[in-house]
Amino acid sequence: MEDYLNIKGRVLNIQRYCGEDGPGTRTTVFLKGCSLRCKWCANPESIKLKYELDYNRKLCKGAAACGICLKAPYPEGAFYVVDGPDDKVHANWDLADITEEMADMCPTGAIGIFGKEMTARAVLDEVLKDESMYRNTGGGVTISGGECLLQPDFTAAILRGVQESGIHTAIETAGNVPWAYMEKVLQYVDLVLHDNKQMNPERHKKWMGVDNKRILENFKKAYETFPEKEFITRTPTIPGINADEEHIRAVLEFIKPYKNVIDYELLPYHRYGTGKYEFLGKVYELKDYDAPSPELLAHLQGIIDEAFGRKTQEK
Amino acid sequence: MKEIKRVAIALGAGFTPGVNAIIIGAAISAHRLGWQVVGIMDGFEGLLFPERYPNKGLIDLNADAVGKLNPLESDAMGTASMVDPFNVRSINDLDMVEEVDMSDVLLQNLKKENVDAVIAIMMGRGLSILHKLNLKGLQSVCIPRSVENDMAATAVSFGFNSALSFTIEMLDRAKGAAKSAQKVAVIEVLGAQSGWLAIQSGTAVLADAVIIPEFPCDVHKLAEHLKSRINRDRPYGLVVVAEGASFTNQSGAAVSEKAMALKKALSPLATEEESGQFVINRSGKAAVTLSNALQQIMTNEIFPLVLGPWTRGGAATAVDRQLGLGYGSAAIRALKSGQFGTMVSFMPPVMQFVPLIDSLNKVRTVHAESYFIDIAHSLGIFTGE
Repeated sequence: MEDYLNIKGRVLNIQRYCGEDGPGTRTTVFLKGCSLRCKWCANPESIKLKYELDYNRKLCKGAAACGICLKAPYPEGAFYVVDGPDDKVHANWDLADITEEMADMCPTGAIGIFGKEMTARAVLDEVLKDESMYRNTGGGVTISGGECLLQPDFTAAILRGVQESGIHTAIETAGNVPWAYMEKVLQYVDLVLHDNKQMNPERHKKWMGVDNKRILENFKKAYETFPEKEFITRTPTIPGINADEEHIRAVLEFIKPYKNVIDYELLPYHRYGTGKYEFLGKVYELKDYDAPSPELLAHLQGIIDEAFGRKTQEK
Repeated sequence: MKEIKRVAIALGAGFTPGVNAIIIGAAISAHRLGWQVVGIMDGFEGLLFPERYPNKGLIDLNADAVGKLNPLESDAMGTASMVDPFNVRSINDLDMVEEVDMSDVLLQNLKKENVDAVIAIMMGRGLSILHKLNLKGLQSVCIPRSVENDMAATAVSFGFNSALSFTIEMLDRAKGAAKSAQKVAVIEVLGAQSGWLAIQSGTAVLADAVIIPEFPCDVHKLAEHLKSRINRDRPYGLVVVAEGASFTNQSGAAVSEKAMALKKALSPLATEEESGQFVINRSGKAAVTLSNALQQIMTNEIFPLVLGPWTRGGAATAVDRQLGLGYGSAAIRALKSGQFGTMVSFMPPVMQFVPLIDSLNKVRTVHAESYFIDIAHSLGIFTGE
């Protein structure tokens, strides 16, 4: 057994039968922790590196019928009931510093914890269960996040193991990490799916928390250092933030010199997953933003198709 | 117990009209005891990042400065969108965004500035954060503020009366609009968990119905009530609905679990649908949902309107101005008598001090036996329970 697989990392979830994170049918490994704070994030449970309470109130059977979490060893004030006919328990995330053992005590599974520690070997064993499916569909394994490059050694170890099994590898990244992190991982990657959320540095800082200078430098360096790898750049397309010609054309200009950037995809903004903010006790700040209209998407897609020299219908 | 010589005032996240009145009440009362008073800029930011501010993030609330404050406004110490020293968003040395626990920095800087105690004007999550700071040794007194009046252990939170007055004014206008258009207005007001603003404002303007989170509303029963009230001489209606209200017996609202599972699986490319359970509600959801549901079973035209954040702005009312001065001076009395870790509670006719933990995790809701419900029923207002 290879030693490099002993490394541990923080995994959020391993999702089988994914169809959108690279070619074929894939398994996507979501890691915990991100270095950006995009206000529209559809995976808020992946943002913080630390473990967090996952509370689904719908699963609670009520204080009268259960009430385990209202007593020790749960921290005082972590869970509570509000006066009224509905006696399902509420969670106070500020006070709910709970352990995995405490989460396991909840009989309905309403209380859980986002994130668990795993070795690269354990992840590899899990993803290789579908080895034949990957071969049959031309699929593989994708490491996503959060930001998978925040745990470069762990991500590299998993991908190396997958590659050594002869299976296609991909990552999803926003690229806001030191170049050394990215370089360490890319050697084991066949396809890089990377975001290009906003080309304007000021607007990038406003919506993501930091400007995009290093991100753009990283991807330029990645295109040049790894000419044999394939890259697909993507934009989560949000009206009012980046669903405009200016952004699309700026991205096209950025990737133009690099033949290994094989496509530019638009990911229409949606609000699925925003319910997870409730499970985390967080506020979803973009709740009144609209998804892009089909007409706007078609228009922007037309610009991309033209740049790639293809008719829109061919896509 | 160390003798108090210097007190800091901190203001939690979110806007409440007339907070200056609290500051004035606290400062004047403290000055009379010979204490100095400072305000922390922008929540706790002033002391978390003193280098970003003039005067190290503090504003001197001496007699001269306090004399110049307008008690109707809330502009003395700035505002912060988030006040949580345990999770301060920062950019680390590797240029990555992360949340850092800076509670120790806050406590150290309070000590460095010779602040002996803090008066925290808080609501919602702010109470939990203050409780955590108290557990780490902070000497504090909390003043409750909530335009929705949903804080437990006090009869009236600061800011509620101002919001109520403005809501009544807006409902009067909406009623006028409904009357002139001969339609039924469904007006959404603040109140995610409790319906105080809705029931008190709705009663004041003699609405036809007030729907609050405490009592899920049977839409067909509401429609029957409205039909009984609307006639040729009175061809309009007014329904006040709190934002956290829920509805039963809606036509065509059910979405099968199977359909939802499919939608979830299709994410992120699935087409958005308002009723999706994986989607956070938009602003104005209650008004739109109820309006659509009523329109399906009534022939009268229904229109929704949302007051929402409009209610949070503006100046304080006379009642809140007095209440603010009262809360501020009471907080100083609490500190003087060493009652740290408490919240000032107004239980007419007295101001008292209750342990902060007694207000945490509790919501002050409208009970079925509340006299506000009795009043509404006496006036023929449908309340849904």
